[in-house]
Amino acid sequence: MGGTAVELNLWAVSGIALVAVMTFYVGFRSSRAASTTQDFLVARRTVRSRRNAAAVSGEYLSAASFLGVAGLILKDGVDALWYPIGFTAGYLALMLFVAAPLRRSGAYTLPDFVEARLGSSGLRKLATFFVIFIGVLYLLPQLQAAGLVLSRIMPVPQWVGPVIVIVVVVVNVFGGGMRAITVVQAFQYWLKLFAIAAPTFVLCAIFIGRGGAGTDTTALTADAPPTFAETTTVRVETPVRLQVKEPVWLWADGRVNGAPASGDVFWRPEVGEVTVDAGTTLRFNAGSAVPVVAGAPADNESWAKPSSGGAGDLFTTYSLIFATFLGTMGLPHVLVRFYTNPDGKAARRTTLHIMLLLALFYMFPLLLGALSRIYVPELLVTGRTDAAVTTLPVKVIPGIPGEILSAVTAAGAFAAFLSTSSGLVVSVSGVLSTDVLRGRVRDFRWAALIAGIVPLALALVLRPNDVSLSIGVTFALAASTFCPVLLLGIWWRKLTWVGAGAGMIVGGGLVIAAIALDVVSRYTGDWAPSFVKQPALITVPIAFFVVYIVSKATHRRQPGDTSRTLLRMHAPDPLGFIRDRDVARFGTAEERARLADGRHRR
Amino acid sequence: MSTTERTGAEHLPPDPARWREVQDSADFAELRRRLRRFVFPMTGLFLVWYLVYVLLADYAHGFMSTRLFGNINIALVLGLLQFVSTFVITMLYVRYANRRIDPQAEKIRAQIEGADK
Repeated sequence: MGGTAVELNLWAVSGIALVAVMTFYVGFRSSRAASTTQDFLVARRTVRSRRNAAAVSGEYLSAASFLGVAGLILKDGVDALWYPIGFTAGYLALMLFVAAPLRRSGAYTLPDFVEARLGSSGLRKLATFFVIFIGVLYLLPQLQAAGLVLSRIMPVPQWVGPVIVIVVVVVNVFGGGMRAITVVQAFQYWLKLFAIAAPTFVLCAIFIGRGGAGTDTTALTADAPPTFAETTTVRVETPVRLQVKEPVWLWADGRVNGAPASGDVFWRPEVGEVTVDAGTTLRFNAGSAVPVVAGAPADNESWAKPSSGGAGDLFTTYSLIFATFLGTMGLPHVLVRFYTNPDGKAARRTTLHIMLLLALFYMFPLLLGALSRIYVPELLVTGRTDAAVTTLPVKVIPGIPGEILSAVTAAGAFAAFLSTSSGLVVSVSGVLSTDVLRGRVRDFRWAALIAGIVPLALALVLRPNDVSLSIGVTFALAASTFCPVLLLGIWWRKLTWVGAGAGMIVGGGLVIAAIALDVVSRYTGDWAPSFVKQPALITVPIAFFVVYIVSKATHRRQPGDTSRTLLRMHAPDPLGFIRDRDVARFGTAEERARLADGRHRR
Repeated sequence: MSTTERTGAEHLPPDPARWREVQDSADFAELRRRLRRFVFPMTGLFLVWYLVYVLLADYAHGFMSTRLFGNINIALVLGLLQFVSTFVITMLYVRYANRRIDPQAEKIRAQIEGADK
């Protein structure tokens, strides 16, 4: 980012305000009828598959997708393609193994499933804990990214963004719960698609109209670092290590390599890496090579090629594939959506639509990431590449049109924070209200409040890091806890609650330990090896193994109704034959009318 | 649907013996077999294709950076094919499920409900 103070971008502020108001409006308009617990949690299972698909995608396309993917493409190049591919492929695994049987089981949260399948209330509590933990962990980057975006378009501190997001979400959930949220989410998907597609089309048209990148920038496959297209001032806000591949003349004010620097500086390639402290201002001349933050490919040729770092890179990539492929099914806000399908067939159709919608969406951040490499290389200096999507339009098109485009992307980013956060708050509070509180509508509202405020507090305390990277760890956690239990629970009759519990504790414990280690290492000089940052390749097999071994050892604990549960999951849909668990729980419409207080019964 | 004050559990037809009978029936075995026959090989194929791509990326630089036209190299094309293949598998599964799995499931349901009435 430029070093000057942030100016108020009125366009962007009004865009964000519009998104918030529209979200309120759509939510409230559709929420008048929602009043029973069933309405809140599963939207009466009447949501049509196409709208449901848009809602799932809308909820799923988080800050990581909207800002993070473009940023990672800018920084890491072709390797970052694995994020969008994994984010999409996770749905394939979900559909193949889990979607239809789980829907038929009639349990509509993960704790419900665990209890229905294995008949242990202790295991249910453990599952509840992990659902809440994953939800909060997933909310953090959304909130932090909201702070980042807002503090770049208007002169406000970082905490304002998260607070706004949580207020909008909680008020909306108060108003209508899940049914309202389904409509809101579907709306949010189209909003986000527009917000990322429109700027991409305009920017690509301009890029092609100018006859490509021009002669003063480095081609995207050239064996040289990217170059600054114009004189650029960079303010370093967190300490960075930069790779120097080409000689650079620059002007610096602050601390470089631990010594005070003020005035002209010359960096030779021989020095290799340069450390720049927080608060330093660097000014580069037009045409000079960009020193890229350490750990990312420094020249465009290696940027445009898939990983070349040997075994370490191979491990990280496999680990990421594992985490996203198996983790999606363990995300609470994704699973709960599948219960709003009327039957298994609709659940499959929904999945197909979701994948189409996701693939369509992901084309655009990829293009924006590549364009950013040409037009906003200064983000490579600070490493804050998450800002690429919102910064790019202003840099390419100066003046009002650029500001308007930038406002569109900022509004889209806000839509991303709002939709993912609402989905998470709804599913976390659903679990909180039925498992921890007493499951009435009033409890659901209290739970929503708690589910909003706790992550907000954490987001304000913890230091933000790359949005997509922390999302990767969340997927790893979901893959190491719920994936083995879901897969084996549906496909292996010898699973016992002891085995499932042990697997969740070991898998989840390992990932949590890795997260803790990584946080400590970030504050003390970044010494952690790469497998700590992306541990899924180790933790998921261990979790599976533990579940298997312990279940074998405790085979006497197999629940007596295993056959019945398995048949119910693999046999046809419940049309009178198998009663929905939510109907069993909340009663039919007539029954509910008689029980005016609406308390649920087990 | 009766409106008497009963809890959901009592509504669950039929009795455990009947469940076990269906569970052990050839039709149900066939249903599970059909599902497995598609799901497991497809997953294997899919994973191998992913993992091989990464291996190629790491150890077959020459092959992967072969230029097809302009700046487009084999790595890029294969990468985009990952997206396409994910989608193709999904479509195949939806078709397979609609044609082969659902009819079998319907059959079992008809049997149980028929016997239940």
